Amino acid sequence: MGAQPLLKIENLVKHFHVRLGAFGERAATVHALDDVSLDIAEGETLSLVGESGCGKSTTGFTILNLHRATSGKVLYKGQDLTALDEKRMRPFRRDLQIVFQDPYSTLNPRMTVGEAIGEPILFHKLATKAELEGKVAALLTDVGLPPRFASRYPHELSGGQRQRVVIARALACQPKFIVCDEAISALDVSIQAQIINLLLDLQEKYGLTYLFIAHDLAVVRHISTRVGVMYLGRLAELGSRDELFQSPLHPYTKALLSAVPETDPALERNRQRQVLQGDVPSPLAPPSGCRFHTRCPIAMEVCRHKVPRWKEARPGHLVACHAVNGE
Amino acid sequence: MSAIQTQPAILAEEPPVSLWRDAWYRLKRNRLAIFGLLIVALLAFTALFGPYLTPYDFLSQDLAARNQAPSLAHLFGTDDLGRDVFSRVVYGTRTAFLVAVVVTTIALVIGTALGAIAGFFGNPFDRVIMWLTDVTMSVPNLLLVVVINASLKTPIAQWMEARYLATLNPFYRETVWIDFLLVFGSMALISWPPYARLVRAQVLSIRSRPYITAAQALGLSNRIILMRYVVPNALGPLIVAVSAGLGTAMVLESAFSFLGVGVNPPTPSWGNMISDGLRVWQHYPHLLAAPAAVLGLASVAFSFLGDGLNDALNPRGSK
Repeated sequence: MGAQPLLKIENLVKHFHVRLGAFGERAATVHALDDVSLDIAEGETLSLVGESGCGKSTTGFTILNLHRATSGKVLYKGQDLTALDEKRMRPFRRDLQIVFQDPYSTLNPRMTVGEAIGEPILFHKLATKAELEGKVAALLTDVGLPPRFASRYPHELSGGQRQRVVIARALACQPKFIVCDEAISALDVSIQAQIINLLLDLQEKYGLTYLFIAHDLAVVRHISTRVGVMYLGRLAELGSRDELFQSPLHPYTKALLSAVPETDPALERNRQRQVLQGDVPSPLAPPSGCRFHTRCPIAMEVCRHKVPRWKEARPGHLVACHAVNGE
Repeated sequence: MSAIQTQPAILAEEPPVSLWRDAWYRLKRNRLAIFGLLIVALLAFTALFGPYLTPYDFLSQDLAARNQAPSLAHLFGTDDLGRDVFSRVVYGTRTAFLVAVVVTTIALVIGTALGAIAGFFGNPFDRVIMWLTDVTMSVPNLLLVVVINASLKTPIAQWMEARYLATLNPFYRETVWIDFLLVFGSMALISWPPYARLVRAQVLSIRSRPYITAAQALGLSNRIILMRYVVPNALGPLIVAVSAGLGTAMVLESAFSFLGVGVNPPTPSWGNMISDGLRVWQHYPHLLAAPAAVLGLASVAFSFLGDGLNDALNPRGSK
């Protein structure tokens, strides 16, 4: 990790203000993202995992300024993106793209595939009108679709085909960085594998950097360079894929990994499942101290009061836990 | 064997179908909707060209042939002044269409503008506009129109008369325009709230669709997002509402003419013809039947068309 990171996220916080009660009489704050810091190196795939509602997607959306950060910085090429208004953000939008979870609803139903892919090309003036058709055809070929699909409408395509179109549309901007926000979760398992391989091929071809948001640990293990584990709006642990999967430090990571079934029946029979007690607390009123202490099997007194420091336990392996390194 | 081989090839080459064309296919399969569409088309044609095709002028009186029953010479008979009822119904179609189209257009423009502002910019615009909408909807329609017509007609007529005497400009003699102006204005005033509500709801729901977020992530400008993503997707329910609204406006216009606050004689309107016919219906039922039947037909046609459009444009909701 000696190279300059492509993206540097510093103490990112995102709170949503909501009104509760039948008449919206009670104001409350959803702590979706609290004090998240991480670097994303060029060409790597950084995965974020965690239960639903833990802030993985919010991280992706906030990095891209689709949610306005409450505080903190997102540095890209030395520029703090959170400080930009929509107009000055526009040139950066080209470099930073996103592939969403549900390919059924992220394509405009009134536009053909060709129009959908061509729109950002024309808007960002990446090609002239005359070159457009060839450009769209090339992008469709890139994502494994025949060029004649350009005249099709989204409702005529299957889920996997639509997700390929969404990927082609993201590629149309010639991005450096793509957030894959649960990009395969809505697809059939057989299609998931195809899309993952497509993403890996494209990464190699165009030197893309991915922030891969997922909850399927088997997939994450397959494609990631590094993995971050989130719990209730905070990063619990972050490390290289092998470190994290083979020697997890945080009790939450351990519990999460123990839930993954083994493919070998012999190993599966002996697998020790570590089932967490209780539910994820509400992000409206997150627990004090370490947010995991209400469910942590090794919680100590200090965990209730003090937020654990985000520290490097081993080289390149960061964790936020009082029990690690005897803190 | 050969059939098995050719079948997939044909399927594979099916032409792409846009949602609009898809809706048109569904509409075509709906017989009632097509019936409505044909009647509406016929009425529209009648409104545009009918007055040039009728054998009689709607004003020409033939006192020797009063109150005649329908015959080949007078398809719907003649009224108490010997005027050809068919020609009057045809001219009434023009009145009905003129009022319906102009009123619906004004209401649509006001409603769309206010609804879009309320939905797009949110509070405080939203609160004020929705409050205005609720207030307007809570006022009884007929009452408001009657009050407007009753209180404004005489002053405007007097002002026009004074202008005519002062300038001798023949424009100020055309009092028939006062009728239309007041009818247009007052009906538009009560007709816009449903459009405002609909557009606001559409804007609110489409704004939160993932494809809007996707468009923002692509860095597209607000103008393009509005024109290419929001408007085309908001149009469906609006088309349905306009179709139904045109029918409603025609019935409303007839109701006002019937009450004597709408378009006044001698300009024929279905409403004032029904009103005249009602007085003598026991003796000359055709004077009531002809305009009432045409009004009923128009209302039913727009209603069928609106329902058909609704099913065609929102297929999921109809099953």
